[in-house]
Formats: sequence, C-alpha cells, structure tokens
Amino acid sequence: MRRPPRLVARTLAVTFVTVAIILSIVFIVLTVDARDRVRTSEVEKLRVAERVFTALEARRQQEQLASIATLAENPTLKAALDTYFTESRFTSPAADQESSLRGTVVLEAEKLAALTNANLLAILDSTGRVFVSTGPAAAGWPAGQVITIATGASTFQGVIALPGGAFRVSGAALRLQDRDIGSLAVGTSLDDRYARELSSLASAHVVIVVDGAVVASTLPDNVTADLAGDAPSLLAETRTLGGEEYASRLLIESGPAQIFTLASIDLAARAATRDALMALGSVALGAFVLAAIGSFWLARTLTDPIDTLVRNIEIMTAAHSPVNLLKPTGKSRELDMLAAAFNTLVQGLTAAEAETRAAYVGAIRALAAALDARDSYTAGHSDRVSALSVIIGRQMRLSDVDLEVLRLGALLHDIGKIGLNDEILGKRGALTAEEFEQIKRHPVVGARILRQVPFLEPHLPIVELHHESPDGRGYPFGLRGDAIPLAARIVHVADAYDAMTSARAYRPARDTSEACVELQRFAGTQFDPACVEALLQAIPPSALSSSGPPLHELLDRQLV
Amino acid sequence: MRPVYRTLRVLLLAAVAAGLLVVSSSAPHGQEASGIRGRVQIGIPIATRRPTTAYPTRSVPSARLAPESERRNVVVYLRNTQPQTVAPMRVAIRQRDESFTPRVVAVTVGSDVEFPNDDPIYHNVFSLSRVKNFNLGRYPRGETRRVRFDRPGVVKVFCEIHSHMSATVMVFDHPWFTVPNDAGAFELTGLPSGDRQVTAWHERLGDTTVNVRVELGRTVQTDFILPVPEP
Repeated sequence: MRRPPRLVARTLAVTFVTVAIILSIVFIVLTVDARDRVRTSEVEKLRVAERVFTALEARRQQEQLASIATLAENPTLKAALDTYFTESRFTSPAADQESSLRGTVVLEAEKLAALTNANLLAILDSTGRVFVSTGPAAAGWPAGQVITIATGASTFQGVIALPGGAFRVSGAALRLQDRDIGSLAVGTSLDDRYARELSSLASAHVVIVVDGAVVASTLPDNVTADLAGDAPSLLAETRTLGGEEYASRLLIESGPAQIFTLASIDLAARAATRDALMALGSVALGAFVLAAIGSFWLARTLTDPIDTLVRNIEIMTAAHSPVNLLKPTGKSRELDMLAAAFNTLVQGLTAAEAETRAAYVGAIRALAAALDARDSYTAGHSDRVSALSVIIGRQMRLSDVDLEVLRLGALLHDIGKIGLNDEILGKRGALTAEEFEQIKRHPVVGARILRQVPFLEPHLPIVELHHESPDGRGYPFGLRGDAIPLAARIVHVADAYDAMTSARAYRPARDTSEACVELQRFAGTQFDPACVEALLQAIPPSALSSSGPPLHELLDRQLV
Repeated sequence: MRPVYRTLRVLLLAAVAAGLLVVSSSAPHGQEASGIRGRVQIGIPIATRRPTTAYPTRSVPSARLAPESERRNVVVYLRNTQPQTVAPMRVAIRQRDESFTPRVVAVTVGSDVEFPNDDPIYHNVFSLSRVKNFNLGRYPRGETRRVRFDRPGVVKVFCEIHSHMSATVMVFDHPWFTVPNDAGAFELTGLPSGDRQVTAWHERLGDTTVNVRVELGRTVQTDFILPVPEP
C-alpha cells in the first residue's frame, strides 16, 4: 500500500507549484510586452538615428561643399582648363599642346582626388560633360558623360545613376572672373562599402535603393533577396523580410536614390527576452529557495511537535504506562489541544484498563480461592505460593512486569486441579499409579482452561510448567534446566515449600528449617538451585527460628 | 571631330550673316580707305558680379568703378590674312581690385605687355598658353613686369594667387584688329580688298565670323550680335 507523502513534501510541492505558476505568468506577460516595447523602441531608435544622421549629414555636406569650393580655387587647374577651352575654340590646338593642358588638368585633379580621398573626382566642362575623371571609380564616369546635376550653381549636390553605378555627387563651379569655365565634382559610389560605412554610423542595417532597385545592402543575402523587386515597401514602418520582422526608415532621399535603415525587431526582441529570462531566472531561483526554506520551516513547525507527540506516545506504549503524559508543544494551539485530548483519553483508558485488570484478577482469585476451599488442607495455598514467588522473584531482581506475571501466574498455578475429583484430591494414603497419572495432568488442564482468556497468556507457562524439574524428571513434558521458564521454576520451589510447611490429610506440617533442608537436598535435581538459594535468603531469619511467627502468618500478613 | 564640327558651324553662321550683310551694306562714304565699320552689341545683360569663392575678398573693397562695358572685352579682327610687318605696341594690363584691367587686349607681334601691380597685395602673372608660356612670379604693389609676345595667337593670363583673375592677350601678325569703344563702335581701316572674313570674339560669349567683300574706297557696315546662339 502506498504511504501518504510527508507533510514537508506536500508544503514544498504546493509552494513550488504556486511560485512556478506566478513566474510563468510573469514570463509570458514580460515576453509579450517586451516584443511590443522592442518594436516601439526599434522604430524610435531608427527615427532618432535618422534625425541625428540627417543633422550630421547636412553639416557634413555643407563642410564637404565648402572644402570642394576651396578645391575649386586651384589656379593651375583653372588656368589649364580655361586655356584649353579657349585655345580649342580659337583654333584647333596642336596635339602636344592639348595633351599638355589636359595632362595638367589630370595632374591637378589627381592631387585633389588624393586630398579628398574620394571614390571619384571629375572636372566637368561648362556644359556638364566629363572632361577628366580620376579616382578608383573613374571608369564609371567616362569622358563626355553628361552629369545632369552640374547645374552651374556655385555648388551643387545630388545623386546620379549611371550605367557604371550610382553616385552621390557634390560639386562646385570653377569660376574665372564672372564666368564658369566648368565644375569640379566629387562622387561617392553608392556601393556596399558606402552602405557599410553608413551602417556603422547609424548602427543599423542600410539598404540603398536606386530607381527602385537595391544596389547595396548590409542585410544578409537571403533577406536582401527577399527585398528585391519590392523596395518601395520599405517606406512602411515595419516589414517582414526573410521571416524576420524589421523596422525600417527612410534615411536619405536624393534624386533617384533612397537610403533606408533597417533594424531587426526579432533580434532585439530575442535579446530582450533573453535578458528578461535571465532576470526572471535569478528571481525564480531566489523565490524557490525562499519558498523551500519557508515551507520547510512551516512544515517543521507542524511536524516537529507531531513527531514529539508520536515519540511520547511510542514511549508510553512501550512502557505500557500512562505515567508520562504528553507535554504541551508550545508551538501550535491545535496540537496542544490534541495532546491534552490524548492525555485525557489515555487517562480514561488507563483507568478503564486498571479496572478491567482488577476485575480479572479478582475473578481469578475467587476461582483460586474456590479451588483452595475444596480442601481445608490447601486453604490459602494459592495466595501463599503467590506471595512467596514474588518474594523469591524480588530477591532475584526481576522486573516489576515479570513480578506481576509471577504473582498472578502463581495464584493460578493449581487451577487445573478443578478437573480432579474430590476423591483423589482428598485421598488419605498412597495414590495409585492411575490416580497419580490424573494428578500429573493438572498443569496441562489448567493451561487449557486459562488459554480461553487472552489476558492470561503471559501466565500460561507458569501454570503449565510449574512441575518440571531441572533434571528432566518433572511433568508434564520432562523439560530440562533452562528450557523451563524462570517463573515456572520459582513457582515450583514456592509450591513445594508451601506444601511441605502445610499440614496434609496424610501428614502434619513440617518445620520451616526442615523444609529448607529438604529443598536444599533436592536443589539441582528437583529444584532450581538459584531459586532455592533466593528463597533461603529471602525468608527472614526469624521465620527459621521456632520462636518467631510461622511463615504462614507472615505470608498471610503480607498478602493483606 | 569637334574642331571640324565647329568649323562647319562657323561657316554656316557666316553664310547667314553674309546674306544679312549684303542687304544692310550701305553706300560708300567717299573715303579713300577701304574699311569695315560697325557695332558690337551684346544681347544678354552681363552683370559683372564678384564670384562666390571660398576666398572672400580680403583687403580690396568691392568694385568702386562702374564695370567697363563688356564691349571692351571684344576683339574684332580680320581672319586668314597673310602675315604683315607690324610695329610693336606698348600696352599695360593693370592688376587692380583683384582683376586684370583691361581684361582683353589685342597687340601686334613683338609688342611688350606690362603688368603693373596697383593692388596693395602681391599678384602673380602666368600663362600656360602655347603661344606664350610664362610666369612672371609674384611681386608687390608698384612693381611692374613685362612680357614680349613674339608669336601670333591667343594667350590666357592668370594670377596664381587669385584663381579667379584672368585676362586675354590676342597677338596678331597684321594690323587689322581693334577693340570696340564703350559704345560698341569699331572700325577697321586700310583693309586689303577682296573677300574677307571678319571675326568678333568675346572671351565667354564666343566668336562669330562673317564674310565681307572689301572694295577699295568703300567702308562696309557690319554689326555683330553676341552671344553666338547655340545651335
């Protein structure tokens, strides 16, 4: 059968489940809430980044324009360019002269390109066509290519999409006196490198779209592929790409180019959720520890007093005595009430048991007395044997429980004689062998009678075996030495003593000292020597002197 | 390809202008010398604005004089002539208010052009032109340096310090050239008779050429309107 769980297990389980449920709810609420917050914050972050970036970019553009305007003041460049165009208009310049002037322009342009560190630096003529281009991306701007945003204003900027790629262009007019002789244009390729630079500035992904097509992106390839052909949808605040949700924002719009910043909401949400989980995990750990300690303490306040009560009850049960009443636990009013109720119950039960026992003992004594009364010679025999057995037992330092067993067993030892008829019992003269056989049956008969009363179980060996002898010549079983219970041996000695010192129909009572001698003679064969010794020690010396009161009287007195 | 194209365009314009010229040519005035007289008109307003540059003017105040007429920046000359023996001239281009004044001069071969510095700051004069490649270096106020132009052609002159300054010196190996006066009037005299080409050139507005039949004792009237319209 399954035993019910301990109380501490129950309280632990209840608190743990409660804590777990609360934490789960908190976690769900937190994660759902965190996602919303992350979405808002990512959108807001991009907005702020855009604002900051726009401000910075405006300033940067201004500074760039200023520096380009400064570069456009290069006198050698201007002189070479103007001379070139003047001469080529005036007459066809000689080949060497043309290449010399063009070479000067190229040289100056290269110097400026090195200064600006630009992807591309170009000198345009007054109609906006490329005259000379230099820099890493110069191939994208072949000579003669029209750069439409070179408007002729003193400075200009914008985005131009050419077959060789898209460029952000800033430029300044090359002025001579009051006329434009051309322009200086600095181009930045809108390529992956530029996107990466922007991305690190804006701390978000960057997608560059020119004429509706993605030309550069810092997003993973699969996400970029997902975006292809649907770039305008980035104008929405959020967009699902490659299975992840992104916040997007238009960073720069210039001519055909749009530059978007994107941030993965899922990524940020994952981080936020992980943070929340970590925080919640530590809270949970703390909560579980506290709950464990708390419930353990709570359980202990209940189980400790209960354990104490149980232990006390076990002690009481073992001692078979209500002497130690339960003390109040002092920890729980209910438990104290339980202990008090238990004490009352135990006291009641003890009283009832004592009463029952007294009733039994009374009835048995009555039975024994009735038996003794059948023969005047044996009157008081059972009581005397009982008293003498207790004296011997006490001398042998038996426990109170054993003495009690001894007392009652001795009282009943001859109860089996009820089954004998008065003839045999009161016969004067020698018994026949058959009669003696009947006499020898009385211990077994007595045990059979008393076996009906469960309460008398401990006394049965005394009744059944009080005629066994250490030498094995006793009856009914002929047990030897230690096989005979001590109580039975004691009663055997006491019975023999009382029989010898009492008068019988066929002989007078013998002297106590005579009886003692007799006992000593048969000690070791018929009687247990230790018991005989105990008896001799226990009987007061006065009883052995002829002047003192006979032992009978002493015993009778003692019985009272 | 461009020079060929340009020549074609010039010829086309010249043909149109010649038609107009024939209609508008006036009768001879009875002078012995044959010549061409006319006006140069500029069809668009030109404000002489100071350029917006990264280097604002420092010590020189903005132009206190009224700008010279743009017509003074035009040179009218006979084209495709045989080289003549000409007397050298002495001309000065002053550096004043961060400008070359005058901005356009026309001289004969062998002439000296002086570049006096009137500004309280240093100036430089240099040229990258094929006809005359020079650099006079930097020099302060009151100093002057000169250059002799030995070959015909156009010479662009710049200041290395002030990149917006420029001037043009046109060097001719014949005497038939002139710069109009403020009113735009010009006159070329003593021309050899025959079919001639006359060009009016402006540093920015471009040049236009017309065919003129020059006859002895007649003065042909021809007007130029600049800028040259883009085709």
